Amino acid sequence: MIEKSIKLTLFLATGAFLYLLIYNGTLETYIHPRFSYLTLVAALGLFLVGVSYFRADGDLAHEHRSVAWWGLLIIAVPVVLGWMVPARPLGATAMNTREVSVVGLSSISASGSEDLTMARPSTERNILDWINLFQNTQEWSGFVGEEVDVVGFVYRDERFGSDELMISRFVVSCCAADGQPIGLIVRADDASVWTDDQWLEIRGTIELGEFNGLTLPLLMADEMVAVEAPAQPYLYP
Amino acid sequence: MQNTIREIRAGLSEEPRRQAVYFLVSVLVLVLFVWLIGLVAQESVYARFQVFVTIFLGIFVEAAPFLLAGSIVSGLIDIFLDDRLVERVIPDSPLAGAFVGAIMGFAFPVCECGVVPVTRRLYQKGMPLSVGISFLLAAPVVNPIVVASTYAAFGWGPILSGRFIITIAVAFLIGLLFTWAKPQDILRPVTDVSHDHHRHDHDTSGIHFRERLWAAIQVAGNDFIDMARYLIIGSMLAALMQTIVPQSTLLALGGGEFSSVATLMVLAFVLSICSTVDAFLALSFVNTFTTGAVLSFLTFGPMVDIKSSLMFLGVFRRRVVAYLIVLPLLLNLLIALLINMYTGL
Repeated sequence: MIEKSIKLTLFLATGAFLYLLIYNGTLETYIHPRFSYLTLVAALGLFLVGVSYFRADGDLAHEHRSVAWWGLLIIAVPVVLGWMVPARPLGATAMNTREVSVVGLSSISASGSEDLTMARPSTERNILDWINLFQNTQEWSGFVGEEVDVVGFVYRDERFGSDELMISRFVVSCCAADGQPIGLIVRADDASVWTDDQWLEIRGTIELGEFNGLTLPLLMADEMVAVEAPAQPYLYP
Repeated sequence: MQNTIREIRAGLSEEPRRQAVYFLVSVLVLVLFVWLIGLVAQESVYARFQVFVTIFLGIFVEAAPFLLAGSIVSGLIDIFLDDRLVERVIPDSPLAGAFVGAIMGFAFPVCECGVVPVTRRLYQKGMPLSVGISFLLAAPVVNPIVVASTYAAFGWGPILSGRFIITIAVAFLIGLLFTWAKPQDILRPVTDVSHDHHRHDHDTSGIHFRERLWAAIQVAGNDFIDMARYLIIGSMLAALMQTIVPQSTLLALGGGEFSSVATLMVLAFVLSICSTVDAFLALSFVNTFTTGAVLSFLTFGPMVDIKSSLMFLGVFRRRVVAYLIVLPLLLNLLIALLINMYTGL
């Protein structure tokens, strides 16, 4: 009876946790939103499973085997961490252990149509669109002078000078575990004002310039504005 | 009536209550511990901790629906599938059996989280060892959902066909190796019911359908708890690796015939991404890595990764789990190297 109640509680709590992720919109910190219906189905399924402990004929479900306390404790871990640790989308901290794509050594490949991206006004392209465009050609001079308006968070490492930063996003194809960071290299006199992880909207133009020994497309910032982190923190290929 | 009495007696007995107290105390300790981390950790350390939690919950939230689906299939099999059916459907010949196991995923569309409870249940229903092992290794790839996602990512071509041919071949071969093994040497006692007097052969067909459905769901619940433990520990390990080990140390090895394959196999093992969606991630490696490497990522990862090898521990004996990691590793590595050396892909 006690064990059944604990299991019921665990299933209800895990189900409620999943449901609240959808309800609060924090689900997108963890997984690609196209799987949100699966999460909803799982939440309902977990409720149903929880209830079954008090509906099913125990003999038929041969429940004589019981679970040790530590087994149940492990089941409680995701719920405890999910509720106690504030959701924080991957950002500059997570980039420390990841391969950071500057154009030329990026591992993100284009999946959208280049023509479609090109047809849009240049200020409506997001960081992923720009990276895809830069990757599909070596003729970057064609982009020089194009206007840029992008949102991302600030990242720097030892390759960046005091007038440089990277305006970055994580690209997620399934869940946070496969998040790959991308970014545009930004040059601005007041770049050092912004701290890592600060979300910015940057307007400017593309110029070719030298970065870390390579000639790359750089974003020359005209205007940098601090913004709230967007509701969808990641970009999706 | 008799049931309720037995339940009350079980509830009053000493052991479950002690377990419940241990559980409640340990949850309290966990809550205090997480609270303390928030209180004393420096901001930069706490940010790291949050990255760990984000990746861990990413894998867990992503995998939970698939594990639940697998558990429910397992519960339905347990209550509704006639034991004799398994014996009737599976061919006697080891060759045919291992092959049927390798393609059976089309009948049970599950990913690598869902496949483990289903395999365990099928073993309890008397499925031969070799068939189960072929099924376990192949089903996460050889099923309609993965065909669709791989097609969406790569279209028709060598990656799509190669992924399925290699997976079926490797699973078939490894399954075959286990043809003459004895179940009690391979399976954990919980899974091995060949000597179990409690084997549930009692006729349930007279019981009302709705009763049986509830029972199946409760069986699914117990399966979910059994398997989710391994899933959770595995995703925590994978998240920890990702938070600590710099990816650049792995990706620097991308171009070589051998190093690229080894790198992506390690990455597949560490990342523990669901087989239904790993094709989209593999797409991002195409430019940097050799074709053999990308294929090994798509064939080895679904067979074995941190979380699934931990889940294997719930079914097989420890020594066998080691075989189930090493054999797919070697075979996939070999095939990928041959592809890199002898084909122009």
